[in-house]
Amino acid sequence: MSKPKVAFFDFACCEGCQLQVYNLEEDILNLLELVEPVEWREAMSDKAEKYDIAFIEGSITRPGDEESLKDIRERSTMLIALGACATIGGVNKLKNNFDLAEVKQCVYSESAGMGHLETSATKSVGEVVKVDYHIHGCPIDKQEFAYIVRCLALGKTPVIPNHPVCVECKMKENICRFEYGEICLGPVTRAGCGAKCPSNGMWCFGCRGYVDNPNVNAAREVMDQYGKTIADLQGKLKLFGSKQEATDEMA
Amino acid sequence: MSVKKLSAKAFNKWVDVCVQEHCVYGVQAKNDRFAFGPLARGVDLRLDYDVTILPPKKYLQPPSEALLKFNKEAEYESITEVEPFVIFGIHPYDIVAISQMDKVFSADNGDIHYMKRREQATLVAVDVQNASDNVFAGSMGTAVVDEGFDILLTRLKDSYLIDIRTEKGEALMKHTKKAEDATEADLKLRQQVQEDNKALLNKHELLTAPQELPALLNQSLDHPVWKEKAELCYSCGSCNLVCPTCYCFDVEDDVDWSLDEGVRRRKWDGCMLAEFAAVAGGHNFRRHREDRYRHRYYRKGRYIHERYGDIACVGCGRCITACTANIANPVEIYNRLREDH
Repeated sequence: MSKPKVAFFDFACCEGCQLQVYNLEEDILNLLELVEPVEWREAMSDKAEKYDIAFIEGSITRPGDEESLKDIRERSTMLIALGACATIGGVNKLKNNFDLAEVKQCVYSESAGMGHLETSATKSVGEVVKVDYHIHGCPIDKQEFAYIVRCLALGKTPVIPNHPVCVECKMKENICRFEYGEICLGPVTRAGCGAKCPSNGMWCFGCRGYVDNPNVNAAREVMDQYGKTIADLQGKLKLFGSKQEATDEMA
Repeated sequence: MSVKKLSAKAFNKWVDVCVQEHCVYGVQAKNDRFAFGPLARGVDLRLDYDVTILPPKKYLQPPSEALLKFNKEAEYESITEVEPFVIFGIHPYDIVAISQMDKVFSADNGDIHYMKRREQATLVAVDVQNASDNVFAGSMGTAVVDEGFDILLTRLKDSYLIDIRTEKGEALMKHTKKAEDATEADLKLRQQVQEDNKALLNKHELLTAPQELPALLNQSLDHPVWKEKAELCYSCGSCNLVCPTCYCFDVEDDVDWSLDEGVRRRKWDGCMLAEFAAVAGGHNFRRHREDRYRHRYYRKGRYIHERYGDIACVGCGRCITACTANIANPVEIYNRLREDH
Protein backbone atom coordinates (compact mmCIF):
# COMPACT_ATOMS: atom_id res chain seq x y z
CA MET A 1 0.00 0.00 0.00
CA SER A 2 1.48 3.35 -0.97
CA LYS A 3 1.54 6.10 1.60
CA PRO A 4 -1.28 8.65 1.46
CA LYS A 5 -0.15 11.89 -0.18
CA VAL A 6 -0.83 14.77 2.16
CA ALA A 7 -0.74 18.54 1.81
CA PHE A 8 -0.96 21.39 4.30
CA PHE A 9 -2.51 24.74 3.39
CA ASP A 10 -2.88 27.86 5.47
CA PHE A 11 -5.41 30.67 5.12
CA ALA A 12 -6.06 33.40 7.73
CA CYS A 13 -4.28 32.12 10.84
CA CYS A 14 -1.08 32.28 12.84
CA GLU A 15 0.16 28.92 11.46
CA GLY A 16 0.51 27.78 15.05
CA CYS A 17 -1.41 24.58 14.37
CA GLN A 18 1.10 23.52 11.72
CA LEU A 19 3.76 24.38 14.26
CA GLN A 20 2.16 21.83 16.58
CA VAL A 21 2.73 19.24 13.87
CA TYR A 22 6.45 20.08 13.73
CA ASN A 23 6.38 19.99 17.53
CA LEU A 24 5.79 16.25 17.29
CA GLU A 25 9.62 16.30 17.16
CA GLU A 26 10.98 12.72 16.99
CA ASP A 27 7.48 11.46 16.24
CA ILE A 28 7.50 13.48 13.03
CA LEU A 29 9.72 10.73 11.59
CA ASN A 30 7.02 8.21 12.52
CA LEU A 31 4.46 10.46 10.86
CA LEU A 32 6.55 10.49 7.67
CA GLU A 33 6.60 6.68 7.72
CA LEU A 34 2.80 6.78 7.42
CA VAL A 35 2.20 9.67 5.03
CA GLU A 36 4.02 11.41 2.22
CA PRO A 37 3.84 15.20 2.28
CA VAL A 38 3.59 16.51 -1.28
CA GLU A 39 2.80 20.16 -0.60
CA TRP A 40 3.52 22.00 2.64
CA ARG A 41 4.55 25.63 2.20
CA GLU A 42 5.93 25.95 5.70
CA ALA A 43 8.16 22.90 5.35
CA MET A 44 8.99 22.35 1.65
CA SER A 45 8.85 24.00 -1.79
CA ASP A 46 7.32 21.11 -3.83
CA LYS A 47 3.80 21.28 -5.20
CA ALA A 48 1.40 18.58 -6.39
CA GLU A 49 -1.81 18.19 -8.41
CA LYS A 50 -3.74 15.62 -6.31
CA TYR A 51 -3.89 14.96 -2.59
CA ASP A 52 -5.21 12.02 -0.63
CA ILE A 53 -5.55 14.22 2.44
CA ALA A 54 -5.51 18.03 2.51
CA PHE A 55 -5.12 19.68 5.90
CA ILE A 56 -6.55 23.20 5.89
CA GLU A 57 -5.44 25.64 8.54
CA GLY A 58 -6.99 29.10 8.91
CA SER A 59 -10.30 30.75 8.24
CA ILE A 60 -11.58 32.11 4.94
CA THR A 61 -11.60 35.90 4.94
CA ARG A 62 -11.19 36.96 1.29
CA PRO A 63 -13.28 36.16 -1.80
CA GLY A 64 -10.15 34.83 -3.56
CA ASP A 65 -9.52 32.41 -0.70
CA GLU A 66 -12.89 30.78 -1.27
CA GLU A 67 -11.88 29.97 -4.83
CA SER A 68 -8.49 28.59 -3.75
CA LEU A 69 -10.16 26.41 -1.12
CA LYS A 70 -12.75 25.06 -3.57
CA ASP A 71 -9.91 24.23 -5.96
CA ILE A 72 -8.04 22.32 -3.21
CA ARG A 73 -11.25 20.48 -2.32
CA GLU A 74 -11.67 19.35 -5.92
CA ARG A 75 -8.16 17.97 -6.01
CA SER A 76 -8.40 16.21 -2.60
CA THR A 77 -9.91 12.86 -1.67
CA MET A 78 -10.23 13.86 1.99
CA LEU A 79 -10.17 17.34 3.49
CA ILE A 80 -9.50 18.03 7.15
CA ALA A 81 -9.97 21.34 8.97
CA LEU A 82 -6.98 21.92 11.23
CA GLY A 83 -7.42 24.11 14.29
CA ALA A 84 -10.02 26.60 15.54
CA CYS A 85 -9.68 29.12 12.67
CA ALA A 86 -10.49 26.37 10.21
CA THR A 87 -13.06 24.42 12.25
CA ILE A 88 -15.17 27.29 13.65
CA GLY A 89 -13.69 30.46 12.17
CA GLY A 90 -11.81 31.10 15.41
CA VAL A 91 -10.86 34.53 16.69
CA ASN A 92 -11.05 35.84 13.12
CA LYS A 93 -14.83 35.75 13.42
CA LEU A 94 -14.70 38.59 15.94
CA LYS A 95 -14.66 40.75 12.83
CA ASN A 96 -18.16 39.61 11.89
CA ASN A 97 -19.58 41.43 14.92
CA PHE A 98 -18.83 44.78 13.23
CA ASP A 99 -19.44 46.59 9.98
CA LEU A 100 -16.78 45.44 7.50
CA ALA A 101 -15.81 48.95 6.35
CA GLU A 102 -15.44 50.05 9.96
CA VAL A 103 -13.19 47.04 10.70
CA LYS A 104 -10.95 47.83 7.73
CA GLN A 105 -10.73 51.47 8.73
CA CYS A 106 -9.82 50.54 12.30
CA VAL A 107 -7.08 48.09 11.27
CA TYR A 108 -5.59 49.73 8.17
CA SER A 109 -6.42 53.40 8.65
CA GLU A 110 -5.69 55.42 5.49
CA SER A 111 -4.52 52.31 3.61
CA ALA A 112 -7.92 50.66 4.05
CA GLY A 113 -8.88 51.31 0.43
CA MET A 114 -5.91 49.47 -1.11
CA GLY A 115 -6.87 46.57 -3.38
CA HIS A 116 -4.83 43.83 -1.70
CA LEU A 117 -6.59 44.52 1.61
CA GLU A 118 -9.94 43.41 0.19
CA THR A 119 -11.76 41.38 2.87
CA SER A 120 -15.07 39.64 3.42
CA ALA A 121 -16.94 38.20 6.37
CA THR A 122 -14.94 35.40 8.04
CA LYS A 123 -16.02 31.83 7.32
CA SER A 124 -14.89 28.52 8.73
CA VAL A 125 -13.64 26.00 6.18
CA GLY A 126 -16.88 24.05 6.53
CA GLU A 127 -18.89 27.08 5.47
CA VAL A 128 -17.15 27.00 2.08
CA VAL A 129 -16.46 23.34 1.28
CA LYS A 130 -17.31 19.88 2.62
CA VAL A 131 -15.06 18.93 5.54
CA ASP A 132 -14.43 15.25 6.29
CA TYR A 133 -12.91 15.65 9.76
CA HIS A 134 -12.33 18.49 12.20
CA ILE A 135 -9.20 18.64 14.35
CA HIS A 136 -10.24 21.14 16.99
CA GLY A 137 -8.45 23.57 19.26
CA CYS A 138 -6.37 26.73 19.42
CA PRO A 139 -3.84 25.38 18.89
CA ILE A 140 -4.58 21.76 18.01
CA ASP A 141 -3.40 19.07 20.41
CA LYS A 142 -0.49 17.37 18.64
CA GLN A 143 -1.28 14.00 20.25
CA GLU A 144 -4.87 14.20 19.00
CA PHE A 145 -3.54 15.08 15.54
CA ALA A 146 -1.24 12.05 15.67
CA TYR A 147 -4.09 9.80 16.84
CA ILE A 148 -6.36 10.98 14.02
CA VAL A 149 -3.64 10.43 11.39
CA ARG A 150 -3.03 6.90 12.69
CA CYS A 151 -6.76 6.14 12.59
CA LEU A 152 -7.01 7.39 9.01
CA ALA A 153 -3.93 5.40 7.98
CA LEU A 154 -5.70 2.31 9.35
CA GLY A 155 -8.92 3.22 7.59
CA LYS A 156 -10.66 3.63 10.94
CA THR A 157 -12.98 6.48 12.00
CA PRO A 158 -11.30 8.52 14.75
CA VAL A 159 -13.31 9.21 17.90
CA ILE A 160 -13.63 12.98 18.31
CA PRO A 161 -15.44 13.77 21.56
CA ASN A 162 -18.94 15.20 21.48
CA HIS A 163 -19.25 15.86 25.19
CA PRO A 164 -18.38 18.99 27.20
CA VAL A 165 -14.98 19.84 28.67
CA CYS A 166 -16.52 19.25 32.14
CA VAL A 167 -15.95 15.52 31.60
CA GLU A 168 -12.18 15.91 31.37
CA CYS A 169 -12.16 18.59 34.05
CA LYS A 170 -13.90 16.24 36.50
CA MET A 171 -11.48 13.44 35.63
CA LYS A 172 -8.63 15.80 36.54
CA GLU A 173 -10.39 16.58 39.85
CA ASN A 174 -10.31 20.31 39.17
CA ILE A 175 -12.44 22.62 41.25
CA CYS A 176 -15.16 24.06 39.01
CA ARG A 177 -14.35 27.62 37.87
CA PHE A 178 -17.96 28.60 38.62
CA GLU A 179 -17.17 27.94 42.29
CA TYR A 180 -14.60 30.73 42.01
CA GLY A 181 -17.23 33.07 40.61
CA GLU A 182 -15.93 32.82 37.04
CA ILE A 183 -17.85 32.07 33.87
CA CYS A 184 -16.36 28.99 32.25
CA LEU A 185 -17.41 27.82 28.77
CA GLY A 186 -16.60 24.19 29.63
CA PRO A 187 -20.26 23.08 29.89
CA VAL A 188 -20.98 23.95 26.24
CA THR A 189 -17.53 23.36 24.71
CA ARG A 190 -16.35 20.18 23.01
CA ALA A 191 -13.84 18.17 25.05
CA GLY A 192 -10.66 16.55 23.76
CA CYS A 193 -8.14 19.07 25.07
CA GLY A 194 -7.80 17.35 28.45
CA ALA A 195 -9.30 20.48 30.10
CA LYS A 196 -5.96 22.25 29.75
CA CYS A 197 -7.12 25.76 30.68
CA PRO A 198 -9.20 24.88 33.77
CA SER A 199 -6.40 22.57 34.92
CA ASN A 200 -4.04 25.54 34.80
CA GLY A 201 -6.17 28.03 36.65
CA MET A 202 -8.14 29.61 33.77
CA TRP A 203 -11.72 29.20 32.61
CA CYS A 204 -12.43 27.40 29.34
CA PHE A 205 -12.29 29.83 26.40
CA GLY A 206 -14.28 27.56 24.12
CA CYS A 207 -11.58 27.14 21.44
CA ARG A 208 -12.80 23.70 20.37
CA GLY A 209 -16.21 25.08 19.54
CA TYR A 210 -19.56 23.97 20.85
CA VAL A 211 -20.63 20.37 21.35
CA ASP A 212 -23.13 19.29 18.68
CA ASN A 213 -26.11 20.21 20.83
CA PRO A 214 -25.04 22.88 23.36
CA ASN A 215 -27.65 23.83 25.94
CA VAL A 216 -27.32 27.56 25.40
CA ASN A 217 -30.57 28.19 27.26
CA ALA A 218 -29.16 26.53 30.36
CA ALA A 219 -26.05 28.70 30.04
CA ARG A 220 -28.34 31.72 30.02
CA GLU A 221 -30.41 30.56 32.98
CA VAL A 222 -27.50 29.72 35.26
CA MET A 223 -25.98 33.19 34.96
CA ASP A 224 -28.54 34.40 37.49
CA GLN A 225 -27.55 31.74 40.00
CA TYR A 226 -23.97 32.96 39.90
CA GLY A 227 -24.78 36.65 40.02
CA LYS A 228 -23.78 37.13 36.37
CA THR A 229 -25.61 38.59 33.42
CA ILE A 230 -26.23 37.38 29.87
CA ALA A 231 -23.91 40.18 28.76
CA ASP A 232 -21.12 38.69 30.90
CA LEU A 233 -21.68 35.35 29.17
CA GLN A 234 -21.80 36.90 25.71
CA GLY A 235 -18.52 38.66 26.42
CA LYS A 236 -16.87 35.32 27.11
CA LEU A 237 -18.49 33.63 24.10
CA LYS A 238 -17.31 36.27 21.62
CA LEU A 239 -13.65 35.29 21.47
CA PHE A 240 -14.14 31.87 19.89
CA GLY A 241 -17.91 31.64 19.71
CA SER A 242 -18.77 34.58 17.47
CA LYS A 243 -21.26 33.74 14.75
CA GLN A 244 -21.03 30.02 15.17
CA GLU A 245 -23.79 28.00 13.63
CA ALA A 246 -26.83 27.35 15.89
CA THR A 247 -25.70 29.82 18.49
CA ASP A 248 -25.50 33.06 16.51
CA GLU A 249 -28.02 34.72 18.78
CA MET A 250 -25.65 34.42 21.73
CA ALA A 251 -22.65 36.30 20.44
CA MET B 1 -10.28 -8.31 65.76
CA SER B 2 -9.54 -5.45 68.20
CA VAL B 3 -9.99 -1.76 68.86
CA LYS B 4 -6.82 0.16 69.73
CA LYS B 5 -6.12 3.73 70.69
CA LEU B 6 -3.27 6.09 69.74
CA SER B 7 -2.63 9.61 70.98
CA ALA B 8 -2.81 12.26 68.23
CA LYS B 9 0.99 12.56 68.27
CA ALA B 10 1.61 8.81 68.10
CA PHE B 11 -1.03 8.61 65.36
CA ASN B 12 0.91 11.04 63.16
CA LYS B 13 4.11 9.06 63.70
CA TRP B 14 2.28 5.87 62.76
CA VAL B 15 1.07 7.46 59.51
CA ASP B 16 4.65 8.63 58.82
CA VAL B 17 5.90 5.06 59.05
CA CYS B 18 2.99 3.79 56.94
CA VAL B 19 3.83 6.18 54.09
CA GLN B 20 7.46 5.02 54.17
CA GLU B 21 6.53 1.36 54.08
CA HIS B 22 3.58 1.43 51.66
CA CYS B 23 2.14 3.28 48.70
CA VAL B 24 -0.39 5.44 50.55
CA TYR B 25 -3.10 7.71 49.13
CA GLY B 26 -4.61 10.05 51.69
CA VAL B 27 -6.96 13.02 51.88
CA GLN B 28 -5.19 16.37 51.53
CA ALA B 29 -6.18 19.98 50.99
CA LYS B 30 -6.60 21.09 47.37
CA ASN B 31 -6.96 24.87 47.54
CA ASP B 32 -10.07 25.29 49.69
CA ARG B 33 -11.35 21.79 48.93
CA PHE B 34 -10.08 18.25 49.55
CA ALA B 35 -8.83 15.42 47.38
CA PHE B 36 -7.24 11.99 47.74
CA GLY B 37 -3.65 12.02 46.52
CA PRO B 38 -0.28 10.34 47.08
CA LEU B 39 0.61 10.98 50.72
CA ALA B 40 4.19 11.91 51.59
CA ARG B 41 3.89 12.85 55.28
CA GLY B 42 1.46 12.23 58.12
CA VAL B 43 1.15 15.95 58.72
CA ASP B 44 -0.43 16.45 55.26
CA LEU B 45 -3.26 14.03 56.02
CA ARG B 46 -6.51 15.96 56.60
CA LEU B 47 -8.87 13.60 58.36
CA ASP B 48 -10.96 16.61 59.35
CA TYR B 49 -12.06 17.01 55.70
CA ASP B 50 -15.74 17.39 54.82
CA VAL B 51 -15.84 15.67 51.42
CA THR B 52 -13.35 15.02 48.60
CA ILE B 53 -13.96 16.35 45.08
CA LEU B 54 -13.76 12.81 43.63
CA PRO B 55 -14.48 9.67 45.62
CA PRO B 56 -11.69 7.13 46.27
CA LYS B 57 -13.20 5.07 43.43
CA LYS B 58 -10.51 6.67 41.23
CA TYR B 59 -7.97 4.20 42.65
CA LEU B 60 -10.16 1.16 42.02
CA GLN B 61 -11.53 2.23 38.65
CA PRO B 62 -9.16 4.94 37.33
CA PRO B 63 -10.57 7.62 34.98
CA SER B 64 -8.50 6.10 32.17
CA GLU B 65 -7.15 2.58 32.45
CA ALA B 66 -5.24 0.32 30.05
CA LEU B 67 -7.05 -3.02 29.80
CA LEU B 68 -4.97 -4.96 27.33
CA LYS B 69 -2.32 -4.88 24.61
CA PHE B 70 -3.17 -6.30 21.21
CA ASN B 71 -1.49 -6.80 17.85
CA LYS B 72 -2.67 -7.18 14.30
CA GLU B 73 -2.48 -10.98 14.52
CA ALA B 74 -5.39 -10.58 16.98
CA GLU B 75 -3.26 -11.69 19.92
CA TYR B 76 -3.83 -9.91 23.20
CA GLU B 77 -2.56 -9.78 26.75
CA SER B 78 -4.49 -8.33 29.70
CA ILE B 79 -2.82 -5.63 31.75
CA THR B 80 -3.50 -6.24 35.44
CA GLU B 81 -0.26 -5.45 37.26
CA VAL B 82 -1.00 -3.37 40.34
CA GLU B 83 1.21 -2.86 43.39
CA PRO B 84 -0.39 -3.01 46.85
CA PHE B 85 -1.66 0.35 48.12
CA VAL B 86 -3.45 1.91 51.06
CA ILE B 87 -6.27 4.49 50.88
CA PHE B 88 -6.26 6.51 54.06
CA GLY B 89 -9.29 8.39 55.33
CA ILE B 90 -12.38 7.05 53.54
CA HIS B 91 -15.70 8.32 54.89
CA PRO B 92 -18.39 5.74 55.72
CA TYR B 93 -20.62 6.64 52.74
CA ASP B 94 -17.69 6.02 50.38
CA ILE B 95 -17.01 2.67 52.07
CA VAL B 96 -20.64 1.71 51.38
CA ALA B 97 -20.13 2.78 47.75
CA ILE B 98 -17.01 0.62 47.42
CA SER B 99 -18.92 -2.37 48.83
CA GLN B 100 -21.52 -1.79 46.09
CA MET B 101 -18.81 -1.59 43.43
CA ASP B 102 -17.41 -4.87 44.74
CA LYS B 103 -20.78 -6.50 44.05
CA VAL B 104 -21.09 -4.97 40.60
CA PHE B 105 -17.59 -5.80 39.41
CA SER B 106 -17.55 -9.33 40.85
CA ALA B 107 -20.94 -10.27 39.37
CA ASP B 108 -21.16 -12.68 36.42
CA ASN B 109 -17.70 -13.23 34.97
CA GLY B 110 -16.14 -10.60 37.24
CA ASP B 111 -13.95 -7.73 36.13
CA ILE B 112 -10.31 -8.76 36.60
CA HIS B 113 -9.04 -5.18 36.40
CA TYR B 114 -11.22 -3.90 39.22
CA MET B 115 -10.87 -7.07 41.29
CA LYS B 116 -7.08 -7.00 41.07
CA ARG B 117 -6.97 -3.41 42.30
CA ARG B 118 -9.48 -4.16 45.00
CA GLU B 119 -7.43 -7.14 46.17
CA GLN B 120 -4.32 -4.95 46.44
CA ALA B 121 -6.10 -2.16 48.34
CA THR B 122 -6.14 -1.64 52.09
CA LEU B 123 -9.07 0.59 53.05
CA VAL B 124 -8.66 2.83 56.09
CA ALA B 125 -12.02 4.40 56.89
CA VAL B 126 -12.59 7.36 59.19
CA ASP B 127 -15.72 8.59 60.93
CA VAL B 128 -16.68 12.03 59.62
CA GLN B 129 -15.44 15.01 61.67
CA ASN B 130 -17.00 17.81 59.62
CA ALA B 131 -20.15 17.55 57.54
CA SER B 132 -20.06 18.95 54.01
CA ASP B 133 -22.73 21.40 52.82
CA ASN B 134 -24.61 18.85 50.73
CA VAL B 135 -24.18 15.54 52.50
CA PHE B 136 -27.34 13.50 53.19
CA ALA B 137 -25.77 10.21 54.27
CA GLY B 138 -28.00 10.37 57.37
CA SER B 139 -31.02 9.89 55.11
CA MET B 140 -29.43 7.02 53.20
CA GLY B 141 -28.27 5.05 56.24
CA THR B 142 -24.61 5.51 55.29
CA ALA B 143 -23.41 8.03 57.88
CA VAL B 144 -21.67 5.24 59.78
CA VAL B 145 -20.42 1.79 58.73
CA ASP B 146 -19.63 -1.43 60.47
CA GLU B 147 -18.14 -3.41 57.57
CA GLY B 148 -16.38 -3.05 54.25
CA PHE B 149 -13.10 -1.61 55.58
CA ASP B 150 -9.81 -2.95 56.93
CA ILE B 151 -9.49 -0.28 59.61
CA LEU B 152 -11.94 2.29 60.94
CA LEU B 153 -10.55 5.40 62.62
CA THR B 154 -12.57 7.60 64.95
CA ARG B 155 -11.26 10.88 66.27
CA LEU B 156 -11.83 11.37 69.99
CA LYS B 157 -10.64 14.47 71.82
CA ASP B 158 -6.84 14.00 71.72
CA SER B 159 -6.62 10.57 70.23
CA TYR B 160 -7.78 8.18 67.52
CA LEU B 161 -9.57 4.90 68.03
CA ILE B 162 -8.39 2.30 65.55
CA ASP B 163 -10.83 -0.51 64.87
CA ILE B 164 -8.91 -3.29 63.11
CA ARG B 165 -11.01 -5.81 61.20
CA THR B 166 -8.72 -7.69 58.83
CA GLU B 167 -5.21 -9.03 58.36
CA LYS B 168 -4.47 -6.14 56.02
CA GLY B 169 -5.43 -3.84 58.87
CA GLU B 170 -3.22 -5.78 61.32
CA ALA B 171 -0.30 -5.41 58.89
CA LEU B 172 -0.58 -1.61 59.07
CA MET B 173 -0.72 -1.70 62.85
CA LYS B 174 2.70 -3.35 62.94
CA HIS B 175 4.11 0.12 62.27
CA THR B 176 3.37 1.36 65.79
CA LYS B 177 4.20 0.03 69.23
CA LYS B 178 2.28 2.72 71.07
CA ALA B 179 -1.23 1.40 70.57
CA GLU B 180 -3.19 0.62 73.73
CA ASP B 181 -6.45 -1.27 73.95
CA ALA B 182 -9.48 0.98 73.78
CA THR B 183 -11.44 1.14 77.04
CA GLU B 184 -15.18 0.77 77.55
CA ALA B 185 -15.33 4.53 78.05
CA ASP B 186 -13.56 5.11 74.69
CA LEU B 187 -16.03 2.87 72.91
CA LYS B 188 -18.91 4.78 74.47
CA LEU B 189 -17.43 8.04 73.18
CA ARG B 190 -17.16 6.51 69.72
CA GLN B 191 -20.75 5.41 69.85
CA GLN B 192 -21.72 8.98 70.68
CA VAL B 193 -19.69 10.33 67.70
CA GLN B 194 -21.44 7.87 65.40
CA GLU B 195 -24.89 8.62 66.77
CA ASP B 196 -24.24 12.35 66.34
CA ASN B 197 -23.04 11.82 62.78
CA LYS B 198 -26.30 10.16 61.77
CA ALA B 199 -28.02 13.45 62.58
CA LEU B 200 -25.25 15.82 61.43
CA LEU B 201 -24.70 14.28 58.00
CA ASN B 202 -28.17 15.16 56.84
CA LYS B 203 -28.13 18.59 55.18
CA HIS B 204 -30.94 17.52 52.86
CA GLU B 205 -33.64 15.34 54.35
CA LEU B 206 -35.08 12.58 52.23
CA LEU B 207 -38.75 12.14 53.14
CA THR B 208 -38.92 8.60 51.75
CA ALA B 209 -37.16 5.61 53.31
CA PRO B 210 -34.46 4.54 50.81
CA GLN B 211 -35.98 1.08 50.37
CA GLU B 212 -39.25 2.74 49.27
CA LEU B 213 -37.56 4.58 46.37
CA PRO B 214 -38.04 1.82 43.76
CA ALA B 215 -41.80 1.84 44.36
CA LEU B 216 -41.93 5.64 44.28
CA LEU B 217 -40.05 5.72 40.97
CA ASN B 218 -42.30 3.02 39.57
CA GLN B 219 -45.19 5.47 39.75
CA SER B 220 -43.29 8.47 38.41
CA LEU B 221 -42.31 7.77 34.81
CA ASP B 222 -44.40 10.63 33.44
CA HIS B 223 -43.81 13.17 36.18
CA PRO B 224 -43.27 16.73 34.81
CA VAL B 225 -40.11 17.19 36.90
CA TRP B 226 -37.99 15.26 34.38
CA LYS B 227 -38.67 17.65 31.53
CA GLU B 228 -38.62 20.72 33.72
CA LYS B 229 -35.16 20.02 35.15
CA ALA B 230 -33.74 18.57 31.94
CA GLU B 231 -34.29 21.88 30.19
CA LEU B 232 -31.45 23.22 32.31
CA CYS B 233 -29.21 20.18 31.86
CA TYR B 234 -25.90 20.72 30.03
CA SER B 235 -25.48 16.95 29.54
CA CYS B 236 -21.98 17.49 30.91
CA GLY B 237 -21.95 14.32 33.00
CA SER B 238 -20.51 16.05 36.07
CA CYS B 239 -23.08 14.35 38.34
CA ASN B 240 -22.01 10.96 36.94
CA LEU B 241 -18.29 11.57 37.08
CA VAL B 242 -18.13 12.60 40.75
CA CYS B 243 -20.49 9.81 41.87
CA PRO B 244 -18.97 7.02 43.98
CA THR B 245 -21.45 4.46 42.62
CA CYS B 246 -21.30 5.36 38.91
CA TYR B 247 -19.12 2.80 37.19
CA CYS B 248 -19.95 3.04 33.46
CA PHE B 249 -17.07 3.22 31.04
CA ASP B 250 -16.35 3.51 27.34
CA VAL B 251 -13.70 1.43 25.59
CA GLU B 252 -11.28 2.83 23.01
CA ASP B 253 -8.41 1.38 21.03
CA ASP B 254 -5.30 3.26 19.96
CA VAL B 255 -2.50 1.85 17.86
CA ASP B 256 1.15 2.90 17.97
CA TRP B 257 2.94 4.39 14.96
CA SER B 258 3.74 0.94 13.54
CA LEU B 259 -0.04 0.37 13.20
CA ASP B 260 0.76 -3.23 14.22
CA GLU B 261 0.28 -2.98 17.97
CA GLY B 262 -2.03 -1.09 20.23
CA VAL B 263 -3.59 -0.64 23.64
CA ARG B 264 -7.24 -0.90 24.59
CA ARG B 265 -8.31 1.51 27.33
CA ARG B 266 -11.45 2.24 29.20
CA LYS B 267 -12.46 5.72 30.28
CA TRP B 268 -15.19 6.90 32.61
CA ASP B 269 -18.45 7.47 30.78
CA GLY B 270 -21.73 8.91 32.03
CA CYS B 271 -25.37 8.28 31.19
CA MET B 272 -26.02 12.03 30.99
CA LEU B 273 -23.66 12.45 28.02
CA ALA B 274 -25.37 12.84 24.64
CA GLU B 275 -23.80 9.78 23.01
CA PHE B 276 -23.86 7.43 25.98
CA ALA B 277 -26.67 5.30 24.60
CA ALA B 278 -25.65 5.55 20.94
CA VAL B 279 -25.06 2.16 19.35
CA ALA B 280 -23.57 0.84 16.12
CA GLY B 281 -25.62 2.05 13.18
CA GLY B 282 -26.18 5.42 14.80
CA HIS B 283 -29.33 4.83 16.84
CA ASN B 284 -29.39 6.56 20.22
CA PHE B 285 -31.70 5.05 22.81
CA ARG B 286 -31.74 8.18 24.95
CA ARG B 287 -31.32 10.97 22.47
CA HIS B 288 -33.28 13.54 24.50
CA ARG B 289 -31.87 15.27 27.59
CA GLU B 290 -35.08 14.48 29.41
CA ASP B 291 -34.68 10.73 28.89
CA ARG B 292 -31.11 10.83 30.10
CA TYR B 293 -31.96 13.03 33.06
CA ARG B 294 -34.69 10.66 34.24
CA HIS B 295 -32.54 7.61 33.60
CA ARG B 296 -29.98 8.68 36.21
CA TYR B 297 -32.59 8.72 38.98
CA TYR B 298 -34.04 5.42 37.87
CA ARG B 299 -30.62 3.87 37.72
CA LYS B 300 -29.79 5.03 41.25
CA GLY B 301 -33.17 4.38 42.81
CA ARG B 302 -34.58 1.40 40.98
CA TYR B 303 -32.50 -0.50 38.40
CA ILE B 304 -29.47 -1.22 40.60
CA HIS B 305 -31.85 -2.17 43.40
CA GLU B 306 -33.58 -4.67 41.13
CA ARG B 307 -30.29 -6.24 40.17
CA TYR B 308 -28.16 -6.05 43.31
CA GLY B 309 -30.57 -5.11 46.11
CA ASP B 310 -28.86 -1.77 46.84
CA ILE B 311 -29.99 1.82 46.39
CA ALA B 312 -27.12 3.23 44.31
CA CYS B 313 -26.96 6.53 46.15
CA VAL B 314 -24.93 6.85 49.34
CA GLY B 315 -25.81 10.48 50.09
CA CYS B 316 -22.32 11.96 49.63
CA GLY B 317 -23.88 15.03 47.95
CA ARG B 318 -21.06 15.38 45.40
CA CYS B 319 -23.50 15.55 42.48
CA ILE B 320 -25.31 18.46 44.13
CA THR B 321 -22.05 20.41 44.44
CA ALA B 322 -20.75 19.46 40.98
CA CYS B 323 -23.85 20.46 39.01
CA THR B 324 -23.34 23.93 37.56
CA ALA B 325 -27.03 24.27 36.70
CA ASN B 326 -28.06 23.17 40.20
CA ILE B 327 -30.50 20.47 39.09
CA ALA B 328 -28.82 17.30 40.37
CA ASN B 329 -30.05 17.12 43.96
CA PRO B 330 -31.55 13.61 44.38
CA VAL B 331 -33.28 14.57 47.63
CA GLU B 332 -35.08 17.48 45.98
CA ILE B 333 -36.27 15.25 43.15
CA TYR B 334 -37.33 12.27 45.27
CA ASN B 335 -39.13 14.55 47.75
CA ARG B 336 -40.99 16.22 44.93
CA LEU B 337 -42.08 12.87 43.50
CA ARG B 338 -43.29 11.88 46.96
CA GLU B 339 -45.26 15.10 47.45
CA ASP B 340 -47.12 14.48 44.21
CA HIS B 341 -48.15 10.95 45.09
